[in-house]
Amino acid sequence: MTVTTPPLDAAATAAAPAGRTYKLWRLNGFPLIPVLILLFIALVAIFADFLAPYDPQIGSLARRFRPPAWETGGSMAHLLGTDHVGRDVLSRLIFGARVSMIVGLTAVLVAGGIGTLLGIVSGYLGGWVDQVVMRVTDTWLALPALTFAIFLAAIVGPSEFNIIAILGGIYWTRYARVVRSEVLSLKQREFVRLAVVAGCSKSLIMRRHILPNVINSAVVLATLMLGVVIVTEASLSFLGVGVPPPKPAWGLMMADGKKGLMVGYWWLTVFPGICIMLMVLSANLLGDWLRVKLDPQLRQL
Amino acid sequence: MASRSFLTTRRSVLALSTAAMIGAHRHAAAAVPKDELRVGAHVSLAPTWFDPAETSGIITPFMLLYAMHDAIMKAMPGNAMAPCLAESCTMATDGLSYALALRKGVHFHNGEEMTAEDVKFSLERYRGAASNSLKERVARIDIQDPYRLTIRLNDPWPDFLTFYASATGAGWIVPKRYVEQVGEDGFKKAPVGAGPYRFVSFTPGVELVCEAFDGYWRKKPSIRRLVFKVIPDEATRLAALQRGEIDIAYSIRGELADELVRTAGLTLKPAVGSAPFWLYFPEQWDPQSPWHDKRVRQAASLALDLETMNQALTLGHSRLTGSVFPENFEFFWQPPRPVYNPVAASKLLAEAGLARGFDAGEYFCDTSYANIAEVVLNNLREVGIRVKLRPLERAAFFKAYSEKKLKNIVQGASGAFGNCATRAEAFVAKGGTYAYGSYPDIDALFAEQAVQMDLAKRTAILQRLQQLVHEKAIYAPIWQLAFLSGVGPRVGQSGFGLIKGFVYTAPYEDLTLKGQG
Amino acid sequence: MKQFIARRIGYSLLSLFLLSVTIFLFVRVTGDPMTLLVEPGARPEDIENMRHQFGLDQPLWVQYWLFVSSFFTGDLGQSFYYRTPVLELYFQRLPNSLLLAAVAMALSLVIGIPSGILAAVRVGGFWDGFGKTFALLGLSLPQFWVGLVLILFFSVYLGWLPSSGSGGIAHLLMPAFTLGWYFAAAHMRLTRSSMLEVLGSEYIKLARLKGLPEALVIGKHALKNALIPVITLAGINLVVMINVAVVVETVFAWPGIGRLLYEGVTFRDFPVVQCVVVIGGSMIILVNLLVDLLYAIIDPRIRLES
Repeated sequence: MTVTTPPLDAAATAAAPAGRTYKLWRLNGFPLIPVLILLFIALVAIFADFLAPYDPQIGSLARRFRPPAWETGGSMAHLLGTDHVGRDVLSRLIFGARVSMIVGLTAVLVAGGIGTLLGIVSGYLGGWVDQVVMRVTDTWLALPALTFAIFLAAIVGPSEFNIIAILGGIYWTRYARVVRSEVLSLKQREFVRLAVVAGCSKSLIMRRHILPNVINSAVVLATLMLGVVIVTEASLSFLGVGVPPPKPAWGLMMADGKKGLMVGYWWLTVFPGICIMLMVLSANLLGDWLRVKLDPQLRQL
Repeated sequence: MASRSFLTTRRSVLALSTAAMIGAHRHAAAAVPKDELRVGAHVSLAPTWFDPAETSGIITPFMLLYAMHDAIMKAMPGNAMAPCLAESCTMATDGLSYALALRKGVHFHNGEEMTAEDVKFSLERYRGAASNSLKERVARIDIQDPYRLTIRLNDPWPDFLTFYASATGAGWIVPKRYVEQVGEDGFKKAPVGAGPYRFVSFTPGVELVCEAFDGYWRKKPSIRRLVFKVIPDEATRLAALQRGEIDIAYSIRGELADELVRTAGLTLKPAVGSAPFWLYFPEQWDPQSPWHDKRVRQAASLALDLETMNQALTLGHSRLTGSVFPENFEFFWQPPRPVYNPVAASKLLAEAGLARGFDAGEYFCDTSYANIAEVVLNNLREVGIRVKLRPLERAAFFKAYSEKKLKNIVQGASGAFGNCATRAEAFVAKGGTYAYGSYPDIDALFAEQAVQMDLAKRTAILQRLQQLVHEKAIYAPIWQLAFLSGVGPRVGQSGFGLIKGFVYTAPYEDLTLKGQG
Repeated sequence: MKQFIARRIGYSLLSLFLLSVTIFLFVRVTGDPMTLLVEPGARPEDIENMRHQFGLDQPLWVQYWLFVSSFFTGDLGQSFYYRTPVLELYFQRLPNSLLLAAVAMALSLVIGIPSGILAAVRVGGFWDGFGKTFALLGLSLPQFWVGLVLILFFSVYLGWLPSSGSGGIAHLLMPAFTLGWYFAAAHMRLTRSSMLEVLGSEYIKLARLKGLPEALVIGKHALKNALIPVITLAGINLVVMINVAVVVETVFAWPGIGRLLYEGVTFRDFPVVQCVVVIGGSMIILVNLLVDLLYAIIDPRIRLES
């Protein structure tokens, strides 16, 4: 969304008394639990083949709608129950982590790559390049990301690759904006001016001097974007224009499970929902912390 | 203080919402006016369905046509081709013409009386599915007097009535003067027909409202108003039925159907339509493909656990006919009952040299039926046939299917009206819309039946044709789908199952609410 | 001043232009646009006719001109499915979205502003922590998840509220809350930081020095200034809300334009999709322009700065 939200902590850490900055999930301010969660999800995604007890795409009708192990009717064979085709929910969650991670990380990298590049170029070169890039950025930022994503998905059709391309193609604008303003202030700094006087080529300056200094902002933005991208991807899958079935994507699992909700089969939507929530919350908390830590001036991200 | 104002605001919000909830709870009970039947439709109603001239070969438009229009002859309880607007339809001995004697005193909703002019006009303006066939084969239409006309064909056409009176909307009559007056678009905005209910209003994507037409020739409908509410989401539709917001909910499947059965006051009404489902093997004519071997195709068929699937998805109501031809169609041949035998399937695959199974590529299907596909996929995998699911959105699916672009395995279905010959034409015979290849012996039989006017002889040929289709395992039949709908406590006669092969409630004039006639 | 207005309007026009170009290009750049622009299942002769009608056999700029000029005549095409002009469908559904957005906005302000004020006034206290958690959740949880959980509790388990559809207040509550939570979080955060900033300003220090009661300081002086950015954001967000409600409207089967967009995608009814996107984007660009202009009129610093 185009809403700019100030971080939770900037003003708080300034005003709060010393003892109050320890929260449940932090250790000296470092968001330990969120990072652990993200690492855990990443590991699960990588080692999915070994961790998942069953094939996520095969199930047996005779075993459909089994509840989780601790409910009546459940069994240890299917810890988190089965879905409408008899597929094991736990296995699908595990493989779904892979889809979420792949789509999320790749899209963030793509968006970050394009956005940073354009931000640097447009900020440093200025002139009409700057104007063009900025106008396009502003226009694309005006369109809500989800609407734009649905529009593009309607055109190119849903597939894992297309979704990554679409998400990358929408979210680069956020990077471009931030990086550009960084570059604008960097341009005035001494070492850059010296480089210009020394006769370095523009591309050299952009590569050697500008880029390393904007990486900070890019990284912070990347962690914040991860949460947003994953929510958008899950929403697209939920609407049926994201990752196509039968690939296990968390958003898709929730869409499939929606019917079961009425009948009391709550585990089909609650578990994938918790996974999405954990991943997004962790990414957001990490991003918030990074934002404050790396550069308080990034408060306005 | 700021905090106090915050709390007061919160409290008032809380109070408001509680009041709203209580109010809503009471409100929900007194939902529907007494003389009105509310139907929850599972698809968004398209204005083209108000016009019989635009029927596209699917059965859904007839949901509305039966309400607002009437036809020369149409399927009615007990008679697949009952005379309605026509009192009789006689074929000449040479098969070149059909004489229609119209019912007198039939009125359209706008008061005009139906005459032969309207019948001729309706046939000529028809432009939906198979309109080309009709245009090519109908030479001309002669009107003898306002109640008698003769349709003349270029050549004898044994299936003329099937096309005219059941498969298409060509035999459904609209008022000529009115249509010419308001134009095509005007007609779709305010249709006028000769059916038991007249059009009142339509809000796209929301609802269609109709009112009883007392001048209907057959009988006066007992329910005053008919409202079709568009609720495409299945869970929402069931919830609306449970809360009494609608009286009939179309298409409730799987676990929601289980829930419906468990809910007191609601009845599940299955109606088996004319929609067989199947697996098609487009590559069976390609010697390079594993599907070329008949044993492989038979193995696929043996691998399907249809009983369990039937029980799970349609609560056991679908018909396991073992045929890809609808069992309620004319000329149907009953194959042996389908068998579930994965062991035999594996053996056949081993004989064909594929003991360890094979990677069969992609499994194409219509996204609306991906639930069936997921189950079939499992069955196939269990015998070693590994495929990847590729659901396509409906229009795209049929487009690719008809343009011969699909490969490997196709899960197809067809609910179109017609008879076994029309199905064979589309799905089996050479040049058929969905036939990727053909067999010479089958083609010969098809050509023979096309000109055979003697009914008994024709039946025999078509039955032999179906037998060959079965023996050659051109298709792996799945089932003939049961369409499950829910009926609420207010409904007396729901109209489900009255007309064989028709899945929606009909005839509308026969529907009743409890406590009425 | 005039220069500022003219420049600002110019930027918006440019944005509108870029929006139209973007939509235009995307439709034509990927493969054969006819697969999108003609209804699925159309006959080959019809396709050829439509190809000519859209001018696809002509140079790109002519096509673009046809594309844009059709907007000015109010012709955004006809829905394949409903056979009615898309604009008609759009305006039929818009009031529903407006209603939902209005209630959601009201909820988000009622929840967001007071909690933001509280959090700022009692920094580090319980309300601050609660507010932060509430905001974090609101910004992180996907709308469809929130909606489904609400349905699970209030419709399925408790049976208090109808699970979906449009109707009275009962039908509105859950979708409005789901839609509003994200914005409540945003408004809360902005209120809090804006309030903190104002509370630390010279003006407030002076008021305190003058000995004015704390309630007056906060309630009258600080609040007035702190709320300005929040209200502006809320104004923009109202329009944004209308356009991002697609998930909420789908989960709750609420017949607004978000639902229309979803139907358009599901039915391959591309004119509908295009219409919603074009109008949505234009709406947001225009409301941003309005807000900027209003701001400039109110706050002279902005005029002078640019």
